[in-house]
Amino acid sequence: MILEVKNLKKSFGNTEVLKDISFSMEKGDVLSIIGSSGSGKTTLLRCLNFLETPDEGVIKVNEETLFDPALSSSMSEKEIRNKRLHFGLVFQSFNLFPQYTALENVCLAPSLLAKENPSMDVSGLSDLAMGLLEQMGLSAKADNYPHELSGGQQQRVAIARALALNPDILCFDEPTSALDPELTGEVLRVIRELADKNTTMIIVTHEMSFARDVSDRAIFMDGGVIVEEGPSKQVIDDPKMERTKQFLSYYK
Amino acid sequence: MFLSVTLALLTGFLNTLKLFVLTLVFSLPLGLLISFGSMKNLRILKYPVKFFIWIIRGTPLMLQLLVIYYGPGIILKHNIWGSGDSGRFTAALVAFVINYSCYFSEIYRGGIQSIPVGQYEAGQVLGLTKRQIFFKIILLQVIKRIIPPMSNEIITLTKDTSLARIIAVYEVIWEGQSFIKSAGIIWPLFYTGAFYLIFSGLLTLLFGYAEKKLGYFQTK
Repeated sequence: MILEVKNLKKSFGNTEVLKDISFSMEKGDVLSIIGSSGSGKTTLLRCLNFLETPDEGVIKVNEETLFDPALSSSMSEKEIRNKRLHFGLVFQSFNLFPQYTALENVCLAPSLLAKENPSMDVSGLSDLAMGLLEQMGLSAKADNYPHELSGGQQQRVAIARALALNPDILCFDEPTSALDPELTGEVLRVIRELADKNTTMIIVTHEMSFARDVSDRAIFMDGGVIVEEGPSKQVIDDPKMERTKQFLSYYK
Repeated sequence: MFLSVTLALLTGFLNTLKLFVLTLVFSLPLGLLISFGSMKNLRILKYPVKFFIWIIRGTPLMLQLLVIYYGPGIILKHNIWGSGDSGRFTAALVAFVINYSCYFSEIYRGGIQSIPVGQYEAGQVLGLTKRQIFFKIILLQVIKRIIPPMSNEIITLTKDTSLARIIAVYEVIWEGQSFIKSAGIIWPLFYTGAFYLIFSGLLTLLFGYAEKKLGYFQTK
């Protein structure tokens, strides 16, 4: 098991956003999380990436406990940073660094990490970054700044940037919600290619047919709980729960 | 006559420049520290800092110069500024640094708070430290955004330095005015205006250049 999440809970003030979330993933799995806005999908991803601190629960990656409440208060910034690196996150709004070129965006974090650990080898870094951009179909755009790129290109740079740190699990938070249908296609295509290479991924998305085709498993969330979980074809084409059917009926 | 006036004004303007440059050297970094204080989620720090900024921005710089120069001598019965020209200059510099740090801190705060939170989060999930995020990602974007208000404030500073004459720091206008008494002529005063115009013209060019230099990227 590459990821194990047990009894995760998170509240903001009096609002319980995650009520009791448990699920697990195998290496190479692609998991889609679907559900309406406000169901807690994004908060779940943010907890995995340590952008939010859960109130309760356990997160384990490769049997290593990354989070439990007893641990959280005593963790130093350095420890949190190391744990974060198990995950990569691609944002809905790309969040590329505007003052750096596409290539520099991809290289920035690995080169800064290498400065702290002199044992790390940086000689291949720019080749690695170029290779990733090529994989994203962007070798011609390596020296362009984010504002010179389309939304779809920016999102693909963001994916390359996340991959450069070689995370165990790559998370996507509605990666195409800020894109028009044409640009959505090019981003979904590269995610599909990653799936074909057995990249372990968690994808929060509203693209139902994409989720069904690309992911092995799917989770439907509503009101901070997992309502239904199973093979993605079954959850999306033939849901068992009334609430899932109701939600998916809007996509037909 | 023209030559001796020019020489006198140049001496004065050198003092003006010294006050201008040293004020920037100290208040630009100090302003950044104050802006961090005013943004900290720590009441015991945040509110005193905000109160201090209110006092400094809410009272005339002229008043602050007088209080800072005369205050210690009268209250502590001890002139902490030392005697003579250099003592008065130090007092003026301290007043300018305090005043301008507060103005700069508010410009920094506006710039820093205008950077989307996604920029910090992108840095965090890439495993960068807070320090790396600030210096490698945020700072340049802040600088780009604050150039216009900064250039305003810095051009104002060139002219505000003339206030130092209230505690007898011999800056350029003081020198120009002295010719009214000694020679009964007014044109050296107009001449001082030319010094300011040329200098602020140079600054305008410099800021225009900096803006162009940072034009290669766009912030959202």
